[in-house]
Amino acid sequence: MLKQIVTATALAAVSGTAVFAQDNETLRVGMSGGYFPFTFVKLDELQGFEVDVMNAVGEEAGLEVEFETMAFSGLIGALDAGRIDTIANQITITSEREEKFAFTAPYVFDGAQVVIKEGNEEIGSVEDLRGKTVAVNLGSNFEQLLNELDFADEIEIKTYESNIAQDTALGRVDAFVMDRVSSAQLIQESPLPLELAGKPFSEIRNALPFQDNDEGRALRDRVDTALESLREDGTLAEISDKWFGTDITKAE
Amino acid sequence: MRALDLDYMLGLVPVILGYVPLTLLMAAAGMVCALILASLLAVERVAKVPVLDWFVVLFISFFRGTPLLVQLFLFYYGLPQALSFLTKVDGVTATIMGLTLHFAAYMAESIRAAIAGVDRSQWEAAQSIGMTQGQMMLRIILPQAARIAAPTLVNYFIDMVKGTSLAFTLGVTEMMGAAQKEAAGSFLYFEAYLVVAMVYWVIVEALSQGQKRLETYLNKAFAR
Repeated sequence: MLKQIVTATALAAVSGTAVFAQDNETLRVGMSGGYFPFTFVKLDELQGFEVDVMNAVGEEAGLEVEFETMAFSGLIGALDAGRIDTIANQITITSEREEKFAFTAPYVFDGAQVVIKEGNEEIGSVEDLRGKTVAVNLGSNFEQLLNELDFADEIEIKTYESNIAQDTALGRVDAFVMDRVSSAQLIQESPLPLELAGKPFSEIRNALPFQDNDEGRALRDRVDTALESLREDGTLAEISDKWFGTDITKAE
Repeated sequence: MRALDLDYMLGLVPVILGYVPLTLLMAAAGMVCALILASLLAVERVAKVPVLDWFVVLFISFFRGTPLLVQLFLFYYGLPQALSFLTKVDGVTATIMGLTLHFAAYMAESIRAAIAGVDRSQWEAAQSIGMTQGQMMLRIILPQAARIAAPTLVNYFIDMVKGTSLAFTLGVTEMMGAAQKEAAGSFLYFEAYLVVAMVYWVIVEALSQGQKRLETYLNKAFAR
């Protein structure tokens, strides 16, 4: 068996065409699998808020959901290239992204949050990030939000593929920025010595991006309809309550 | 200094072990393809075909002169922007291709040196019984060169096994990717990376044992 696999792989490698059949009743969902509690892995089991939402969407819309995990910074490229159909990884709607992709209606309402090492008294709000080193995830829009601050040139931004919380806890950076709900969950659930610094400094809305072509928009409409029903029947609120203890799926 | 969470580590071992086949598959497929390509390149380097030789030299120079990680990114994230059909290539295939090209460049040099190391008398003997160049290469020279090159080639295979850990940067969940994700969910980074390091270590030790046996076996015919 292994011999056949190796031969097949070798042949595929030589000809360079490992093309997988695309059946249009599947929904290929990309996520990082490393963003607690939205999408994470425990003992090989992919789970989290996004996983539950997408499974509910699949059931509602009659689509077979296939999850594909990859590095966060590669997700947008993978969607662009058509390797996946959408991304469920707390993708924030931005004007640049809207130009390129077809988004569903927002299903998460959240804010950008500064998080510091426990006991760091120098930073109490986003204003205090002047002259400090701040970690963000590569390709996330938190990097952009920091760059939009009028004192952006005084902040040293470090981009990471992962482990921003760990590097803040280790004191290698002064703070990290991600969304408020994940930050609160992370502080509650993880053993890392971290705390929130001040209030969220910017509102963010998350939605599912699809390719902006006929096929992508058709799929987006199906998913949008499903999301709407799930909002109406309380499923979204229920999933949110399970992971965050509060409903983050409604605008405040 | 906190104590290691041994229970967590023990629970993680089977999870990481579950990804060993994928790691070995990528390395084995890469090795087979690299051996074929490297042999062709080496034979060309010995024969020195005009014009083609220039390309082969350039190929070897580039793939030895740039980091494997850069090559993988170039191939998986970069090239598809120019050649759209490449978006069809998945991460596993791209890793195998990257490993193939990268290690073929190195192995070509070892094989070339091994061919040069086969005694001149062997060439002359083969010529004297009227073999063609091709026959001589395939039947007489390459088998003997293989014996000389084998230990070095196994070293490259070991490097390749470790090289597959870069596949996680192309979104492939292999041993390293699995450890990375587990750590992101549990926040027990030290434990997760320690487990994955141990598993690699055991695999490479097993391969090194195999390498010793192979050498003994290959040298049997030449024992004085």
